[in-house]
Amino acid sequence: MELSMSGGALRTFTRCATCLARVGSDLVLQAHPAKLELHTLNSSRSAYASISLAREFFDDFRLSAPAAAASAPSSPPLQCSVLLKSVLSVLRTPTAALDRIAASLPHPDAPKLQLTLHCLNGVKKTYWISCSAEAEVQTLSLDRGSFSSHLTIRPRDLARLLSNFQSSLQELTVIATDPAAGLSNVGVDGEVEGKAVELRSYIDPTKDDCDTRLHTQLWIDPIEEFVEYVHSGDPVDVTFGVKELKAFLTFCEGCEVDILLFFQKAGEPVLLVPKFGLDDGSSSDFDATLVLATMLVSQLTDSNVAQQPANSAQHAEPRVSATPPPVPENVSNHTKIWSELSGSAPKSFEVNREKHTQKGRNANANALNDTSMLHSVNAPFKTPVADNANDPYPKSLQLNIANLSPDVVSDNPRSQHHPSNWVGADEEDDDEEEDEELFVQTTPHYMD
Amino acid sequence: MSSSTSGRDDDAPDLICQIDCVHGMVDALSSVRWKRHQDAVLELSEHGIVVIVEESGCLQAKVYLKRELFMEYEYAAEGRPRFGLSLGLLVDCLNTFSAPGHSSAVEIRYPGPDMQLLLKSVGSPDSCMYAEIRTRIPDTISWDYHFEHAANTQVTFTVKSAVLKESIEDLEWPGSSIQIQMQPDPPSVIFKGEGHGDLEIEFPYYANTELLIAFQCDQEIAYRYKYKFLRATTSNFPSSIMKENRGSKVSIGNGGMLKIQHLVSVARPGMQYFRNVAGGAQQPSRIAYIEFFVKPEEDENNMNDA
Repeated sequence: MELSMSGGALRTFTRCATCLARVGSDLVLQAHPAKLELHTLNSSRSAYASISLAREFFDDFRLSAPAAAASAPSSPPLQCSVLLKSVLSVLRTPTAALDRIAASLPHPDAPKLQLTLHCLNGVKKTYWISCSAEAEVQTLSLDRGSFSSHLTIRPRDLARLLSNFQSSLQELTVIATDPAAGLSNVGVDGEVEGKAVELRSYIDPTKDDCDTRLHTQLWIDPIEEFVEYVHSGDPVDVTFGVKELKAFLTFCEGCEVDILLFFQKAGEPVLLVPKFGLDDGSSSDFDATLVLATMLVSQLTDSNVAQQPANSAQHAEPRVSATPPPVPENVSNHTKIWSELSGSAPKSFEVNREKHTQKGRNANANALNDTSMLHSVNAPFKTPVADNANDPYPKSLQLNIANLSPDVVSDNPRSQHHPSNWVGADEEDDDEEEDEELFVQTTPHYMD
Repeated sequence: MSSSTSGRDDDAPDLICQIDCVHGMVDALSSVRWKRHQDAVLELSEHGIVVIVEESGCLQAKVYLKRELFMEYEYAAEGRPRFGLSLGLLVDCLNTFSAPGHSSAVEIRYPGPDMQLLLKSVGSPDSCMYAEIRTRIPDTISWDYHFEHAANTQVTFTVKSAVLKESIEDLEWPGSSIQIQMQPDPPSVIFKGEGHGDLEIEFPYYANTELLIAFQCDQEIAYRYKYKFLRATTSNFPSSIMKENRGSKVSIGNGGMLKIQHLVSVARPGMQYFRNVAGGAQQPSRIAYIEFFVKPEEDENNMNDA
């Protein structure tokens, strides 16, 4: 494979590399006749980023004959895997000083990927990056049509919303309600048009510093904040990682495109893509995808039991930890469902991926292997599903943590948080009436 | 030698000199700082002051402060006195004299009553800052990295200092040993580093007329140098080198000894220039010369002729 790019494509490429480097550590390059694909998966397997660069993106893009033949549907495409850290080292030279970059992978088994930077001042820098021995092939393609809801937001606006949260926030919950749903008891003025979307910080209550961290809730009027918002029916919530979201945000901001977020419900992955304007033809030579696993546990419960599901990072096996606090009377179907599921001994595990994955893997022999293919899972409770068109996404993507041993840790099954600290639909709480700019009304009552 | 027979006053210090812009001197001396603690040897002569710094017998740096840089330069020694002191101490001390808003003219005097180096601020009638730095006899005879050009001809190139610095910084990635290769046909300079990844940086002579300002090479040669020493030659440039778009001259001499020369401007731009000591009407050149010498690694792959 030989390719060469210059000008604006260089800047985009650098942006791609920076974004991918914030998600994972290994970059898999796959060369198809019509495009080059760059994939990465983060270490806890909860985020998958993929960027596709069409042939037109490059000044020159050639696959040598055997490689081109190799990309027949039956055989795997030309691919190699390199460290993103090395790619970033190559891209240290400021783009403004570059005339063009050429890349070359002479044959599929080449031990090194060659990148040549031609600088405007005449200097020529040639890098050879070692290819990793085994290229773990992950291709994940989700059908956008399979998502029931989506929203489009400008990166600038999303950055502004995120700035309300503690910068070290790791997970974020997006609660989406139907803006058309009748909202009887919303606020003092009884406005029907409420803030249909809520952003909520997700803090793992089992961690020691849970109570010292900033908890934030943001209610949003989709009409004001989003370019587009499509959601109907029951409220859904999705909780996913912020670090990768921010990486994608920076990427879209640099490319000057809006962010399109597809979601379905808790536990199912969310899909983020750049929304290229219909009249913006120049943007069609590349595309990007970010798939984030979401927590299986829904945050949508009555406020008094809001702590309960937050205690557990639930896995495909629906075991919810924590003793259920008293359930109020006006429970919706949602709450009912969650209460039924709870009842097993409280156990504490960290939602936080990195450390968690380590612990999990040590604790259990069934742990996901680093080298295992994405779609072959050692999970005993879910049938491994092959990566085929019928199943748009492998279930294992949800399993950001391996199956942990069922040891009971009774330390801190519940947050020390007093329920009334958590602003919710509790009408008796006077704090609700405080006229803070973004906290005007509570989330429309989505129960019942 | 008794004072009665000699016409000279034996008590006169070897050197009294005054520099008007301490900041510039600090810049020049800082460019040879690559470690926290470095011992320097100062050599005084009628031509100026030379500051010599050395590391592990493989790297040597010299800063030449010609007498023309000084507002005044009274040299009264016989021979060339040499003494050692801590470079960091000297630079930090000089820095304290260059407070903003004050005239930063400093008088340097050697030796003091106890062989110290004496510094005194001048120019301000109301106050005076005074410093003494203890000196010592240099431990080792700093051997002159005898630099000889190869056989008949020089092998040298001159490139923008900023480009050289950037290239050396890029070479941090591959590994600890860098090969510098020069070839006459096509004329180019190639830096190579190998490690967990490989990097080759080439300065082709014909790529851009402004890249290699000068280039001279008759035969292909290549030598390896330790990265950390190469790095030391460019890591502490003052920013004025980049702003003034200066060039650095790189030469490879007999046996592969690498010599890198930089120019550091000692005067602040816009500063009033004083007439030089010689009384010439011309503006004196306000440049300090910095020289680095790097010994090559013992390498069996030398491509050059013995």
